Amino acid sequence: MYGNKIMDYFKANGISVGDKVRISYNGASIEGELMPSTEYNDPDVLIIKLKNGYNIGIGFSKVKLEKLESPNIPIEFPKVDLTEQKDLPRISMIYTGGTIGSRIDYKTGGVYMLTKPEELLFDVPEVSKIANIDIEPLFSIASEDMSYLEWQKIAEDAANALNKGAKGVVITHGTDTMHYTSAALSFMLQDLNAPVVLTGSQRSSDRGSSDAFMNLICSVYAAARSDIAEVGVCMHSTSSDDECAYIRGTKARKMHTSRRDAFRAINGKPLAFIGKDGRIRYNSQYRKVQAGSKEVHAQTKFEPRVAIVKAYPDSEPDIIDFYMGKKYRGIIIEGTGLGHAPVSTSHQEYLWLPKIKEAADSGMVIGVTSQCIYGRVNSRVYRNLRLMSSAGAVYCEDMTPETAYVKLGWLLGNYDAAKAKELMPVNIVGEIGTRSEYDDFTDEEE
Amino acid sequence: MDDKAIDYYKGIGFMCGLEIHQRLDTASKLFCGCSTNPENDVEYAHVDRQQRAVAGELGAIDPSARFEESRQRVFRYKVYRNSSCLVDIDEEPPHEINQDALSIALSIARAFGMPIFDELQPMRKEVVDGSDPSAFQRTVLIGRGGKIAIDGVPVDITDMSLEEESSGIINTENNVITYDTSRLGIPLVEIDTGPDIPTPEFAKKAALYIGTVLRLSGRVKRGIGTIRQDVNVSIKGGARVEIKGLQDLDFMDKYIENEVLRQQNLLKIVDVLKARNASVMEIADLSQLFASTSVGIIKRGMENGGATMGFGLKGFKGALGTEVLPGRRLGTEISDYAKMAGVGGIIHSDEDLNKYGFSAAELEGVRKALNISETDSFILIAAEKARCQKAIGIARDRALQAISGVPLETRAAVNDQTYTTKFLRPLPGGSRMYPETDIKPIKITPNALASAEKSAPRLDQEVSALSKDLKDAQLANTLILSGKLPLYKAIAAGTSVDRRFIASVLLQKMTELRRKGYAVDLIRDEDIIAVFQRYDGGTVTKQAIEEVIKALSEGHTDIDKIIADGSLRRISGKALKDLVSSFSKTVQSSSKDDLRNRIMAKYRLVIDGEELNRII
Repeated sequence: MYGNKIMDYFKANGISVGDKVRISYNGASIEGELMPSTEYNDPDVLIIKLKNGYNIGIGFSKVKLEKLESPNIPIEFPKVDLTEQKDLPRISMIYTGGTIGSRIDYKTGGVYMLTKPEELLFDVPEVSKIANIDIEPLFSIASEDMSYLEWQKIAEDAANALNKGAKGVVITHGTDTMHYTSAALSFMLQDLNAPVVLTGSQRSSDRGSSDAFMNLICSVYAAARSDIAEVGVCMHSTSSDDECAYIRGTKARKMHTSRRDAFRAINGKPLAFIGKDGRIRYNSQYRKVQAGSKEVHAQTKFEPRVAIVKAYPDSEPDIIDFYMGKKYRGIIIEGTGLGHAPVSTSHQEYLWLPKIKEAADSGMVIGVTSQCIYGRVNSRVYRNLRLMSSAGAVYCEDMTPETAYVKLGWLLGNYDAAKAKELMPVNIVGEIGTRSEYDDFTDEEE
Repeated sequence: MDDKAIDYYKGIGFMCGLEIHQRLDTASKLFCGCSTNPENDVEYAHVDRQQRAVAGELGAIDPSARFEESRQRVFRYKVYRNSSCLVDIDEEPPHEINQDALSIALSIARAFGMPIFDELQPMRKEVVDGSDPSAFQRTVLIGRGGKIAIDGVPVDITDMSLEEESSGIINTENNVITYDTSRLGIPLVEIDTGPDIPTPEFAKKAALYIGTVLRLSGRVKRGIGTIRQDVNVSIKGGARVEIKGLQDLDFMDKYIENEVLRQQNLLKIVDVLKARNASVMEIADLSQLFASTSVGIIKRGMENGGATMGFGLKGFKGALGTEVLPGRRLGTEISDYAKMAGVGGIIHSDEDLNKYGFSAAELEGVRKALNISETDSFILIAAEKARCQKAIGIARDRALQAISGVPLETRAAVNDQTYTTKFLRPLPGGSRMYPETDIKPIKITPNALASAEKSAPRLDQEVSALSKDLKDAQLANTLILSGKLPLYKAIAAGTSVDRRFIASVLLQKMTELRRKGYAVDLIRDEDIIAVFQRYDGGTVTKQAIEEVIKALSEGHTDIDKIIADGSLRRISGKALKDLVSSFSKTVQSSSKDDLRNRIMAKYRLVIDGEELNRII
């Protein structure tokens, strides 16, 4: 951000960002375009874009700045043809924000959210040859800022679109919490009979190497052509641009901060691989689209007073007191190994067992998952597990902590605590598998 | 400088500037912790990617970006154990800028008298040939407006940037281009001169001079591929053409002269075509016509549902066959464009069509279908249909340009002693730079400036010190421009050998041997230093140095073994006395001089003449 001295000068001289300017110093002069200053720039440095494209920063105090002209060239995107094609299926595309729905301003480097359909599809005009796409910019929210309130809106929107005849739905979403949203939609969209595909990107679409293009293309293929009647995450299957994996919404998890194949199926396999040419390779059992079934019903009630708590060496159980005090109705413990928390330690301050019992007795649902992420929790193998289970904790089988969290919030939103506790270890929409296959862990991609 | 040459080039509106890219010698890459020594690293994985042209500023798509995308290629990036990581394959954001690289760049900027900006702004420069997995190169402009004088001629150093090295191309197979990411991201500086270099000869000199300053810093990489000199050339009425891939600086002037010639020849063709009111016709599908052809090249292209397409060129007769460079005709230029779409080439009517085996009926059919007569020309391409369509379109665009002038191009030097170049891709336009938001702007502190000032290599000071050392300003200048200065200094520091003798071996003797075909440029500096040490220590004579260097250039590395195997060990002291006395007993000599000459004739390489004189 420019400092006051510069801003005052701009004001006094009618100069604004975007103007063509000349700065003179040390007997030389440079012409260029005045750029905005960001939070990282020195507030007393002018940022100029030179004719060769480079930006430079020169201290304001030592230059003479003059305005040459104020060009007014709006950014215009070439139009994408969105006319109806009779022989193509109709799908709905819901934009919620995130990297895939944003674009860098080439001049300033600032990121702005896209809102117009023709802008959103500009980079991938070929998707309009796969399906007729109804585009709905629902909101522009970074995925770290999403909450259950947004999940509810997305679920209602998706249900509406499907009930109006869309063959499938693509939802573009920030990647960080995409697996929470995909789990939430999996529970909320009751009687789902169509593909609901979440996709996003790890590299913004202003770069030619972005993963957004193929992710969008594959997701549109999945929504328009697959017979998967489940919510899924459809992103790069490997680091290469060849196909995407369609991962069940309750089994997907972002497992890498930056790679384009960050999403992995946890304790399961991708339902299908979608080639960028539209080839669909089904890979494991899934619920198929049925002929002539009833409408999708968005059952969106959700109890947000559920917490995820991690048990680790030296972790104090007082955190449970904190949530009880805030009238929370559920806690998912991310335990160690098979689902442990410190329950037999001689250090009283680290003893979780009495707190778990107290919380469970008070009517809170305590679910146990594992920070191992891969594998199934177990309440019987060790005495300490048996102690936790006896204290009232419910073991969440092979669900990820995030899916268990979403499931508990959804159950508590729709059922009483007893019923929620009863349903936690029971499979509803594919979130719990009855079998753990060898290659779910060793080689989950092939 | 040659005044006649200056006047000639001024007269044709010659414009010429250099872009010198030099890798810096840092331990790690510019934006990650990978090694900058990719030699012998082990590849353990690869990823396949595709890239698209994305809108630049104002929604405009760069023409070269669009061109690359039209080729729909797959880029394969090989990943190496020590010298590439997720940052290199566009799977992790860049780390902080390498401070060592930055400080080297600052001191080099000061060496060219260049003012450094107060705050540096890292940028992304769009790269469309796939050589960067992120589709852009990170670059930061350090300063501009530097000035140097070479032989009294002022040269502007307009810009200097610090940027990432691109990845090296390994091969191109069908539609897959394989790149080596091990060198990607090694820091390099790009130094640009103004377009005011007066002659091709001077361009070579300027490149040498800049290279010498860079080496003087002591912080740049040495060896093949660590420095690249690109040249921009144009003449009045022509267009800016960038020549890349000049491997040997010695021939830079020849490549520039040839580019001038090429533009002159293209302009002559323009005149001819304009006078004839020439035009390029629409593309026609000729597949039907050649459905059952016996012309091999077309038959092969038509296999598996391929197509034959062509277009007519009214008034072009003879133009396609006109040479624009030795061995390269306008037809070759058009063919190189078409090849970019993945076809083998074109067939055009200025070629000897008999060699392909066309029947008279086929040629008549082509002319009829394309609506042209005997005085017109045609171009045909036979290939897989989509590729054929793309290639014929590109060929037609290039043919159209032949009527209007010289296209803006990036051309690659053909390193085959002809000093010609071939089309590589259209010259990128301007709108392809935007801020690298993953890296913070870099504030240049007074401390950083002061230390840049202190460590900046000073060529003028070097020249005067060396002139004193050698007692010969001309020799000093030649030595500095030769690039051998660091080696000279290392030898001078490690031995007491006469300075002028060192310079003469490095300059005259090495050049003489290179001309005779000895690969003296492949000899390691430390081996040359060792040769002088042997001489200094009395192990070999002055005359034997040449023999040792010859052996080193042939790939032998053990100097002591070379000396032993070549019987090059110096005979001196008592051994020499014994030799003189036994020689004078067996051979009749008329005088001392005669004895000396006879001994020298036989033992020239192993006896020091002065020592022999003393003994006799």
